[in-house]
Amino acid sequence: MLHIEIDGQQVEVAAGTTIMEAAESLGIYIPFFCYHPKLSVAANCRMCLVDVEKAPKPLPACATPVSDGMKIATASRKAKMAQQGVLEFLLINHPLDCPICDQGGECPLQDITMGFANPHSHYNEEKRVVEDKDIGPLITTEMTRCIQCTRCVRFGQEIGGIKELGATGRGEHMAIGTYVAKAVKSELSGNMIDLCPVGALTSKPFRYKARSWELKHTPGICPHCSTGCNTDVQSLGKEVLRVLPRNNEAVNEQWICDKGRYAYTGLNAPDRVTKPLLRDSQGKWTEVSWAEALEATLAGLEKVLARHGADKLAGLISGQSSNEELFLFQALLRGLGSPHVDHRLHQQDFRADAAMPLYPALNMSLEELEREPLIVLCHGFTRHQQPLTNHRLHKAVLNGGKVVSIDSMRQDFNFPVTQMVAGAGEDLALYQQLAGHFAHVHEEKQSDGLVDLAREMAAADNPLILIGSALLHHPQAADLLAQVESIAELAGGRIGWLADESNSAGAWLSGCVPQRAPGGHLLAEPGLPAGACWNAEMQGFILFGVEPGVDSLAGAQAVQRLRDAEFVLSISHFGNEARQYADVILPMAAFAEGSGSYVNNEGRCQSFRAAVKLPGEARPGWKILRVLGDSLKLPDFQYNELSEVSAAWHHAVGDYGMDIPPFHAFPALEAVQPIPAGALLRLGDWPIYQGDPLVRRAKPLSTPLVARMHPDQARQSGIQGEAVEVSSASGKVTLALDLDTHIPLGCIWIPLGYPETSGLAAPYLPCSVAMAALLPETQRAS
Amino acid sequence: MLSEKSLKAIAFERSKYPQEESRSALLAALRIAQEEQGYLRDELIEYVAEILGLPAIQAFEVATFYTMYDLKPVGRHKLCVCGSVSCFLNGSDRIIGHLSRTLGIGLGETTADGLFTLQEVECLGACKDAPMMQLGDRYYENLTPESLDALIAQLRGGSEDVR
Ligand code: SF4
Ligand code: SF4
Ligand code: FES
Ligand code: FES
Repeated sequence: MLHIEIDGQQVEVAAGTTIMEAAESLGIYIPFFCYHPKLSVAANCRMCLVDVEKAPKPLPACATPVSDGMKIATASRKAKMAQQGVLEFLLINHPLDCPICDQGGECPLQDITMGFANPHSHYNEEKRVVEDKDIGPLITTEMTRCIQCTRCVRFGQEIGGIKELGATGRGEHMAIGTYVAKAVKSELSGNMIDLCPVGALTSKPFRYKARSWELKHTPGICPHCSTGCNTDVQSLGKEVLRVLPRNNEAVNEQWICDKGRYAYTGLNAPDRVTKPLLRDSQGKWTEVSWAEALEATLAGLEKVLARHGADKLAGLISGQSSNEELFLFQALLRGLGSPHVDHRLHQQDFRADAAMPLYPALNMSLEELEREPLIVLCHGFTRHQQPLTNHRLHKAVLNGGKVVSIDSMRQDFNFPVTQMVAGAGEDLALYQQLAGHFAHVHEEKQSDGLVDLAREMAAADNPLILIGSALLHHPQAADLLAQVESIAELAGGRIGWLADESNSAGAWLSGCVPQRAPGGHLLAEPGLPAGACWNAEMQGFILFGVEPGVDSLAGAQAVQRLRDAEFVLSISHFGNEARQYADVILPMAAFAEGSGSYVNNEGRCQSFRAAVKLPGEARPGWKILRVLGDSLKLPDFQYNELSEVSAAWHHAVGDYGMDIPPFHAFPALEAVQPIPAGALLRLGDWPIYQGDPLVRRAKPLSTPLVARMHPDQARQSGIQGEAVEVSSASGKVTLALDLDTHIPLGCIWIPLGYPETSGLAAPYLPCSVAMAALLPETQRAS
Repeated sequence: MLSEKSLKAIAFERSKYPQEESRSALLAALRIAQEEQGYLRDELIEYVAEILGLPAIQAFEVATFYTMYDLKPVGRHKLCVCGSVSCFLNGSDRIIGHLSRTLGIGLGETTADGLFTLQEVECLGACKDAPMMQLGDRYYENLTPESLDALIAQLRGGSEDVR
């Protein structure tokens, strides 16, 4: 321990502590720009100069480690003069356009200038002007305002994995940018806006919308993945104007991903429903009062029940729903006598249902993830599926750990990952081979990726195996899960789940799966899982926040079934898809408009509050369910306040552990149809900005729909040019094509989540391709 | 994009540094590329970055920082006049102005005959004889309009330069 003195206060700090950190621990503020606790030290702004006894000149606090007996003055005449001098230089080239700058009011440069500057500048000459850069639809640049602190560059290199951003030129000519004009492609890019201490990088969708001090702040929880990032939802009047991260070291530190930051821009999509809608016998939609809509709903449901029985009624709810909604939803369906309740639209193989854990739990904290020495990702592309959980994996690698991914294709990680890629349709075989290698890792001399992996896993102390979202989307998910379990056993490792949706954990706990009641209690008579509802002649559906056409693997089949069903109630935010098949659409509160709670991947229950008023006549989801239950005369629906529902949820779910057995005993798995060999297979998953109804509608995030194929495969299939016509048993579509060596031979990658591709066969099914003429413009926008 | 010889030279420079420090060979690699091709086109810079396994922006950062790298074609004689503080206080502006008038070009420009390029550079460490400039690998110090006129006449006359 070193004894030092700052501004007359004594403090003891560990060796290696910088003056800045020591001062922080005493609550002494030293002005700074380039310093950031999460980034490497650059010490290039010099704002933090302080006066150190016996040092000949002022020293930068952020980069100077303390030594024993050091006496530091942060506000002596010498320190003040140095700080004022630095500020005067920084302001030489700063435009001082605060009145038209979005950063105004939350700008360290503005604040520090007010607090520390000498009001007189010696500089009367011209200021420099720097050309703005176009770095994509999310960030506005105003590079003349840049003070070259390089926080954005360091963030890109150290955290975001953005390799395009740098500082070119020298001295007065130095400019931050992407030398060759291109968009910054990182799912974490928006954080640079928060990091930039001036108005050089600001949010494009938020531009000129409001001043920071006018905004109302409401604590939120991001609904777009299972990390459960804490957010600060900022609104003005009835409108959400931006979403920023809220510090929580245990969850998201101080970051959020661009999905969490910009998805709100989808709230006002043209097909937002704000009034109850009713379809008349001619198929025309009319806006009606709640009373009329409810009446029609009750009549429709009663008709289905009377004619076909409750066994022909199914309820599908989104995994983004709150615990309260999930809880009421299953109570509604089960109250009506229907056992068919599910939230797993993304899944098609349910044979392992009996083995599933209480809920998909990471089985450790996100922070602990950073210290894992060996992590094996099983079909999990965390960078797109759980962006900030991915950041913990990135940190594990920075801490000397190793991450290995097993997947159907090579993925574009933003940190070094050893990747094992299955050949077309051979995912199960790959896991089987891996399991097979454990028996003789010690004899085996040959160095093959899989053998090495088995050897490393066997040698590691308790390696961590993470089950990714894409594993559950696979047609042989159950067999894959069983393999993963045996691999974990052979390797002496632990299993963690990467929950698929923001509240998948809550959905399991709340009993929104056909085989379990709230709290995970097994049901004697389980219903059908989501995927099976499409071919079970269901006659009634209650949909809650889902668009099965694009949210399920078999979109075309789902839509067809919904069309053929006698009665479909869609409780929804948006109308485009529901109008194709629903009879009644009830408008529901969307992101930031309702309150509730989520259980994140760790098992952490986090609540959020409504930030803005409901648009039009939309109602909170839980209230809609309550009214339905009440009018259907179901017991236990007499809730007046959300808190009563939350209490009932807690009571029903009980205390659940954060570290739970990752599997129950596996049932005997019936064989499923093998993946056809030899045919061209369709691969695909939900891309990062296509995974839920809101983010799909966020304009700034929209990404053109493109199919991808290995160049050799394209040649072999006789495809030339930039477009391809894909046909499968269920449909045909023409798509833009990119050649991409990440896609294995024998496959074509076509994203899910786009209405255009929902007619195609599900992933891992065969399809055929043919050359196509050029595309309609809209599809190749960028 | 580069000759066998240059690639070898770059590989040699690369071999001087540890595995994970390919960045250290960047300065030399860019110099070698420029020596062969006269100046550094964008694609050439990207190519050098690729050889060293670096993100292109890192090579751009370096190439745009040092005035010794040329990002556009330059004339046969590159007049690099120091404009840093000691030279500035000793009249580097006057020197640059004189050259600019005599040659009919501004900073960063090249004469139509391709003979001269005029450039302002940062301190070259010869402050005691300011103002100064570099031409080829030689320093010219205590510059005056007269000494410059004499030098230019010599160069125009085809005098052997050291480039
Ligand atoms: S753009 Fe902002 S964060 Fe980046 S260097 Fe400039 S001032 Fe710093
Ligand atoms: S990482 Fe997940 S929870 Fe966090 S902001 Fe992104 S989508 Fe939301
Ligand atoms: S904060 Fe210390 S030099 Fe920038
Ligand atoms: S200032 Fe010109 S050589 Fe140093």
